[in-house]
Amino acid sequence: MNRSFSWKKALFIVLLLLFALWFPRLVDAYFLHLAVTFFLAMILASSWDILARTGQVSVGQAALFGIGAYTAALLFKWVHLSPVLGMLAGGVVSVVVAALLGYLTLRLRGIYFSITTIAFAEALSVIWLMTPAVTGGAMGLSTPPLFGGDRQQAYYLILGILIFCIGVVWMIEASRLNFAFTAVRENEEVANVMGINPTRYKVLAFMISAFFTGFAGGFYSHYNTYIIPYEVFGLGISIACLVMPIFGGLYTIAGPLIGTMIVKVIEEYLRVTVSYGHQIAYGLILILVVLFMPDGVMGIWRNKVLPLFRTVSR
Amino acid sequence: MEWADFLQSFANGLLIAGLYAAVTLGLTLVLGVMGIVNFAHGEIVMLGAYNTFWLYTLLGIDPLLSIALSGLLLFFIGLFIYRFTIRPILNDPPLNQLLLTLGISIFLQNLAMILWKTDSRSVITSYSGMSLSLGVVNVGMTRLLTFLIAVGLTLFLLFFLYKARPGRAMRAVSENNTASWLIGINVQKTYLLAFGVACALAGAAGALVSTIMYTYPMVGFKLSLKAFCILVLGGLGNIPGALFGSLILGLTESFVGTYVPEGSGWAEGISFILIMIILIIKPTGLVGTRRE
Amino acid sequence: MSLLEINGLTKHFGGLAAVQKVSLAIDLGEIVSLIGPNGAGKTTIFNLLSGVYLPDEGEIRLDGEDLVGHRPFEICRKGVGRTFQIMQPFPHMTVLENVVTSGLFGQVPRVPMRMAEGEARELCRWVGLGEKTGVYPRNLPVADQKRIEIARALAVKPKLLLLDEVMSGLTPTETSEAIKLVRQLRERGITIFLIEHVMKVVMDISDRVVVLHHGEKISEGPPGQVAHDRRVIEAYLGEQIENSGE
Repeated sequence: MNRSFSWKKALFIVLLLLFALWFPRLVDAYFLHLAVTFFLAMILASSWDILARTGQVSVGQAALFGIGAYTAALLFKWVHLSPVLGMLAGGVVSVVVAALLGYLTLRLRGIYFSITTIAFAEALSVIWLMTPAVTGGAMGLSTPPLFGGDRQQAYYLILGILIFCIGVVWMIEASRLNFAFTAVRENEEVANVMGINPTRYKVLAFMISAFFTGFAGGFYSHYNTYIIPYEVFGLGISIACLVMPIFGGLYTIAGPLIGTMIVKVIEEYLRVTVSYGHQIAYGLILILVVLFMPDGVMGIWRNKVLPLFRTVSR
Repeated sequence: MEWADFLQSFANGLLIAGLYAAVTLGLTLVLGVMGIVNFAHGEIVMLGAYNTFWLYTLLGIDPLLSIALSGLLLFFIGLFIYRFTIRPILNDPPLNQLLLTLGISIFLQNLAMILWKTDSRSVITSYSGMSLSLGVVNVGMTRLLTFLIAVGLTLFLLFFLYKARPGRAMRAVSENNTASWLIGINVQKTYLLAFGVACALAGAAGALVSTIMYTYPMVGFKLSLKAFCILVLGGLGNIPGALFGSLILGLTESFVGTYVPEGSGWAEGISFILIMIILIIKPTGLVGTRRE
Repeated sequence: MSLLEINGLTKHFGGLAAVQKVSLAIDLGEIVSLIGPNGAGKTTIFNLLSGVYLPDEGEIRLDGEDLVGHRPFEICRKGVGRTFQIMQPFPHMTVLENVVTSGLFGQVPRVPMRMAEGEARELCRWVGLGEKTGVYPRNLPVADQKRIEIARALAVKPKLLLLDEVMSGLTPTETSEAIKLVRQLRERGITIFLIEHVMKVVMDISDRVVVLHHGEKISEGPPGQVAHDRRVIEAYLGEQIENSGE
């Protein structure tokens, strides 16, 4: 768990960063858009993983995503709040909701927690549909194009948030939070007896996760210029949030990122092949991961690929 | 308060509760016998509904007659699913079981979208519009028949569990699978059969669903949530509890639909709100669990 | 004033009294054993002491401070360390990480990570796991897993250490080592309250023995005295007759 610093890794990361910064000049609008959606998904995946580190498996992240999205959209509609501030507001409101929900669901274990999160997201969806005067209802809400349509600016904004998110995860892993989260996840009762306050860490993880999910929602509402409850509170978002980190490898930094890359590529391919139902890949991936590779891609990397390098270099 | 409205609302709630009970029976069985919450249960129901729709549309088979066919088809599909995906993870942590069944659920939802598009299908029969007058209450013919069949399914399940050998084996296993194994019950086969029967019940419920609701790929998800609500209300893994929970949910939805302004929209959210309220107050469900 | 005072402690589970009006006191520096036939309520007492269960009645005082109603992590920080009968190391942490965890959170005042790691290493070495700090618990034998439990409990620098059946399943050599370790703990100033089934150990190590039967305290005193107490003998014999089946 303790990080050992390696120059190779640092170099790799720097190169990756340079590539990411140079990227918009290299590609056309389609790939730029694709990159934005990939980064957005990575944020969702990483932030889901933060929550999962405390053993709380949310199948309703869409609730926070949707709250973030609507916060930004409604604040724009009511007071013309600038998009970036709207996104921040989306993050903050999500944090507040998560804190509340986190406290309420503290005693829920495992599946009951998951079911409650699903129910919460669906309940929000119904509430939104039934209050069109305030929320726009089923017709949804529109916002003008983000940064006047300048995709590059949007790209850099989301990249910046992604880097921030990764930075937060890195800091969690390097700090005592990592021990607390892991202990609470592995055995909450024993962790408690060892001096760890489960409430504090579970709610904290929920809040950190919510900030990024909510911000992502806010970003999405401005970037997409149009949101409807069915979509932003929808199961599809919640599932996406969990498939990517699970496939990539839970409780790691690289896992959610790599998982997102691969899953998103598959999804994009399917999206152009079938008009509906492209999330069928998500279902298959979940099944295959549980049956054959429970530690995800990172697990395979650690257990099967890395040992090969070690024997070779001996 | 208008008595007629109240009785009508009550009757509607009762009838829909029958459908919900039929949907939840299989989920309860699997939970009780194997301790697994099958997130894909709703999708099995959905498949049953589509099966009935196609049999009716393509071959003209009356939906309420094709219950047996849907049941049978889903029984075998259930055996297949159990053998290749459930059995390997029987002893895995519940998180894995959740993710696996969730994966099956997503897979089936999207498969349905690909195969049959997202349009809502209806099954309209010659008697769809008919209704019966029982005093001040009007009862739709399809709803009444569905209710009666649902009651029949419940009685069938209870008979099976108490009188038939494999059923009694299932009850034994749900109490204590080590003891059952020690006295010679083939626990693996019992699990397999239980899952198959649960899917058969789901398939049959699907046939009923197709006559009362629209059939579309996400209908399973909606029903799953209602079923979870019922589990949480009535006790996880026990059948009388499932019946009780179905009644509560059905009646609540119906009364909200009648008495709350724009109630029919809000009624959809009842199951979610109930789940949240109950679990937050009593983290192990209203009646508590049989297995914990 | 004793280090630990329990008065009239009572706990029911669904109508059954697991612990009935138990009172006892443990003084600073004592080694006290809690014995009794299976199901007597011993682990329940530990769970009550560490805050895992809330008593229905009764008082628990540590150094004069009331513990009842506090949550386990608070009780830990007041100076109660505990091992578990069924060993539960955190599976995805190494031995060292397991010990560091409780060192980081169970101590008051909080120590920085470097220091916690240093302390953990020292503790691991002291219990005999010095070579195995980087190993995962599942790869270790029973005796080593017990060492992890003890090191983990010690990392919180407890005033009172609750040891739950640490001697069970050990070879005679390992048992001697464990007894030596417990004595060294007392020399370090830690008061020890242990649940034990291995009578040899109980007789050897205890200053006092408390006997529980059906949730009630039926005897208390130096080991020699308790061993000859008729009520104690009957309790164990009665249990034997029950166990041999009617």
